[in-house]
Amino acid sequence: MPVGLQAQPSLGVPGKKRWAMVIDLRRCIGCMACVCADKAEYDVPLGVWRTIVKVKDTGSYPNTKRHFMPRLCNHCDNPPCVRNCPTEATYKHEEGFVLQRYERCIACRTCIAACPYNARHVLPKNRDRVKIGGVIDKCTFCHHRVAADLVPACVQTCLGRSRIFGDLNDPNSEVARLVARHSVVTLKPEKGTAPQVYYIKPDRVHTEQVLSRPVSHAARADAEAFYRHNRGTQFFSGVL
Amino acid sequence: MFEYFEFNIAPWGWEITVYFFLIGTAAMTYVYAAAPAVFGDVFGGIARSMEPFQKTGMLAALVLLLISGPLLIVDLGVPERFLYPILHFHWTSPLSWGALFLPLFGLCIVGFLAALWFNRPQLLKPIGILGMLLSLSMPLYTGLDLMVHQTRELWSNPTIPVLFVILSVSSGTALVSVIHLARGQFDARTFEFLHWFLYVALGTTLALFLGELVTLLYGSAELQQAWTLINERFWVQFWVMTFGLGILTPFLLMIVTHYWKSARVLTLAAVLAAVGAFFFRSVLIYAGQLTQIYY
Repeated sequence: MPVGLQAQPSLGVPGKKRWAMVIDLRRCIGCMACVCADKAEYDVPLGVWRTIVKVKDTGSYPNTKRHFMPRLCNHCDNPPCVRNCPTEATYKHEEGFVLQRYERCIACRTCIAACPYNARHVLPKNRDRVKIGGVIDKCTFCHHRVAADLVPACVQTCLGRSRIFGDLNDPNSEVARLVARHSVVTLKPEKGTAPQVYYIKPDRVHTEQVLSRPVSHAARADAEAFYRHNRGTQFFSGVL
Repeated sequence: MFEYFEFNIAPWGWEITVYFFLIGTAAMTYVYAAAPAVFGDVFGGIARSMEPFQKTGMLAALVLLLISGPLLIVDLGVPERFLYPILHFHWTSPLSWGALFLPLFGLCIVGFLAALWFNRPQLLKPIGILGMLLSLSMPLYTGLDLMVHQTRELWSNPTIPVLFVILSVSSGTALVSVIHLARGQFDARTFEFLHWFLYVALGTTLALFLGELVTLLYGSAELQQAWTLINERFWVQFWVMTFGLGILTPFLLMIVTHYWKSARVLTLAAVLAAVGAFFFRSVLIYAGQLTQIYY
């Protein structure tokens, strides 16, 4: 039983909801509409993302393939970010969401370090319209929309219907049916986080760390830039 | 072009590395300064060699604390909320415990200094014992801060807190040696006391360094990635500064001091060990953050 959470996992608990997402990679076309929808929904600043689509090119001409991998917070049932937060600013909702109390966050960034999915980021301090800044933010499974009986913005906008959202505890929901009928995969299950974003037919280059090194010239250049930016030589590590 | 663009930035920079180093140094300096009051005549009374150092040591620990505390606060994105880890205490977070113990440790330093100032020797021992426990908690909590990240395999290792405690022994010994040398207070017993501590610290650091090495070489995909990362990005810090300058050279100097009791050589060995202690921590902190960004 996980400790240090504010709500126990509701997966399989009768009478409770457990929201989850299934991402059918057979249908993702890498259009990035989900990324844009999220940016629009939350005024996500430049340089950070609540959701992303990782793109990976493998093989060499003429035998090549481009892989897409939508990534977001996995709203784990055993979230390390929640256990590590020193102020309980990030907490587990009883319906499975992992949410953030901005008014409590001190931006110590221990949750960023704890998250194996790179799903958290620091909001810049000076923002034009939204006044929440200088704290940690992440995907919330669009809790405010789900509470109003809407689906998350990325699901709403996904034109390939690659992202499917629903209550996993409801056997008649589409997510429950997909999880039951397909050999779904979660990311890094060995980390013990019990993630609740399920992928249908992912490629190994996206789910296995040893195969995930950037291979293209552009990706390596980006990685170099990232390392240069992350050598601990900048105040606030360059995040604020 | 989209293969790499999405990664959010790694969380911790130089402030955390420096903080870990300074607070560890402050903790061990306190132990040295409080040793005469706590251990007294135990072990043949060798701890009494630190009696002239008590006030200076406590002041040094206080100065380090006054530097490292604000450094930790200023590293926060919202520094004005620095009391929140205590006000909204979360028992599963080592950071919360650290935030609680840090001011208590400061109070012990001030209390010890006050007992010395107002000549209350009966208070020295209880404050010294309490402060020693809290000083142990300083490097311990910083190590646990990394260890609890079970999703980062380089950190999720039970030797990390032990390593941080041992590295604080090295850096504390360096500071105490430098102060003793500067004040001309090195005598045979002081030399023996510091020499023994440095020997133990270096031996344990070497053992843990080798353990870390084997773990990286025989570990999972992520640990192998960390191994590659360390050898590609941090080889100077890891091999030259940590192993060469911070472990091997002090060991050779310790062999020299075994035959030729030189306070200067011992101090040099301790300072080099402290340099190694700093870089060992920094490599672990940075590499631990970067292993997952490919994924």
